[in-house]
Amino acid sequence: MERGDFLQQMGWLLMGLLPGWSRGDGLWRRGVLPPFLREGDLIGLTAPSGAIQPAEVAPAVSVLQAWGFRVQLGETLGLQDGSLGGSDAQRAADLQRMIDNPLVCAIFCARGGYGVTRMVDALNLGEFRRHPKWIVGFSDITALHLHIWRQTGVISLHSKMCGSFPAQWLEAPSLVQETLLSIRHALTGHAVPLACPPHMADRSGLAEGPLVGGNLSMIHTCMGTRSEIDTRGAILFLEDVGEYPYSIDRMLTNLQRAGKFNQLQGLVIGGFTQMKKELPGEAFGRSLEQMVLEKVPAGFPVCFGFPIGHQLENYALLHGQRYRLEVTEDGSTLEISVPG
Amino acid sequence: MPILPRYLKSGDTVGLVCPAGRMSLARMRTCLRILEQEWGFRVRRGQTLGAGDGYFSGTDAERAADLQEMLDDDSVRAVLCARGGYGMTRIIDLINFSRFVRHPKWVIGFSDITVLHMHLYAQYGVVTLHAPMAAAFQQGGWRKPSVRSLHQALTGHVYQYASPAHPFDRPGTGQGLLVGGNLALLAHLVGSPSFPRTEGNILFLEEVGETLYNIDRMMRQLLRSGQLERLAGLVIGGFTDSRDTERPFGQTAYEIVRDVVEPFPYPVCFGFPVSHGPENLALKAGSLHRLFVAEGAVLSDLSEMPSPRQQSGRKCR
Repeated sequence: MERGDFLQQMGWLLMGLLPGWSRGDGLWRRGVLPPFLREGDLIGLTAPSGAIQPAEVAPAVSVLQAWGFRVQLGETLGLQDGSLGGSDAQRAADLQRMIDNPLVCAIFCARGGYGVTRMVDALNLGEFRRHPKWIVGFSDITALHLHIWRQTGVISLHSKMCGSFPAQWLEAPSLVQETLLSIRHALTGHAVPLACPPHMADRSGLAEGPLVGGNLSMIHTCMGTRSEIDTRGAILFLEDVGEYPYSIDRMLTNLQRAGKFNQLQGLVIGGFTQMKKELPGEAFGRSLEQMVLEKVPAGFPVCFGFPIGHQLENYALLHGQRYRLEVTEDGSTLEISVPG
Repeated sequence: MPILPRYLKSGDTVGLVCPAGRMSLARMRTCLRILEQEWGFRVRRGQTLGAGDGYFSGTDAERAADLQEMLDDDSVRAVLCARGGYGMTRIIDLINFSRFVRHPKWVIGFSDITVLHMHLYAQYGVVTLHAPMAAAFQQGGWRKPSVRSLHQALTGHVYQYASPAHPFDRPGTGQGLLVGGNLALLAHLVGSPSFPRTEGNILFLEEVGETLYNIDRMMRQLLRSGQLERLAGLVIGGFTDSRDTERPFGQTAYEIVRDVVEPFPYPVCFGFPVSHGPENLALKAGSLHRLFVAEGAVLSDLSEMPSPRQQSGRKCR
């Protein structure tokens, strides 16, 4: 056992004695919810992954302001180092400043791309543990969600980022408005249950547990690291974009061989969009549903086509929050489980 | 203590299988001819040769059964995987290696076959051959150094490979068991029972057709999971046909690797002839080697030396 893991487990033991850290089903802790946002609260915008220009975040800034929040632009906006939003040190420092700044109530990651795993180990989460705040984003930010959850047990927000905000809010399609409003609702403590139409390959059932996951490639690339996903007793959700089918199969096989599907309570499959074209004669020839179902053991519900991913239908989800998943022949629902 | 299978001699039987992607019989013809007529081996043809109608050369069960049979057939002295592609991880846990471990034989291949090599190293300590496969024999390839090195390694030749100097090389000497293979496959094994121990070992890596950011991501994964810290040495082969994204990543594959291992003291050599390109020398994975990097690099096969554990280069820290 590594030192970090040992300390962490000792930490859980101690936390189990504290109120608010009751260990759920004997094994499972409840996450720590950062304080919900109120009007006038400050949201910090930073680029921990790919480069983004201040002009590109302008639509998001004006919408966040219209929702009543104040916005602080991080120093990484406008920086560029190759495809990254500044050097590893610059990106880590910008994020660290927002973590340590008591006035910042939520940290909104401007975009994904690639870069979190290059600097996440440089973060000092001491202040974050004492004063948790919301971390918002998805895709590459999955690594940050996983890291935060594993290292601090703090709940974070898996949602759209700046590029999804329309220049003209009023002219935006209602689906765009609705998915973006789910961010506001979640941040202010008014998250609504999500519904999903039935899918041929769904496996019915009822599940409850902390919701963990996100981008499959990122979950996969965090294996063996301090950010490795813990799926025991959890509802796992997965999405990915722009991968070859064989590569998706390979990543799922790796999770399977690492035992990550063995103690699941439920599985939620979101969008696997823009799959790369295969060479003629090299078609993998298996559907996503086949790839998933042949690898997961029986005994828990599985739902396909859930509205999360690199797509218009990408609703905000609280990573680490205890959810209740119900999959029936009439469709699926995913809602925050009420303690009691 | 690594388990070294018995070397082959003329008249021995080589089993040819296709445990991963599908391959037409036509593309294996040269390989079969050379094995039989030039190298003087007999060939046992697996059921999966030319089989399958989709992506794989048969179902998981069929591919596993074919490999199992070759591994368990005492008359077969070496199992040559005709092709990589993708598929080894899907069947590795279906294989029973108990008989193979008692009667070890050479397992040959690279790319996707990295999974099999590293599984056999991590679980059983059996030495395997990371070497060219059937396609490399074609178009006169069998006359070239890479395919010839396979024949030499298979028949007991102890090698000493030289690699030209590269500006990123880091001089030094390291000794340890040689582990590694394809970077993507290694990254895909992290967390699974097939992942090799890298501490005190010489790691070798090659890659093909990956995007630069993904090469960086996989190197960072190995770094973050502690697999690059205590190496005896690092051998970087070809990173062929690397691609870039719309927003350029801003570093070449070798620059990525150089920067990731910059904090560590062990010797590193770049441009070693192991790759998906024409330069792909046979390497005994899981066996004791010495890496010497000065003006250029030399990788020496020390498989005939006793007690590798005691001699492995763990002192380099």
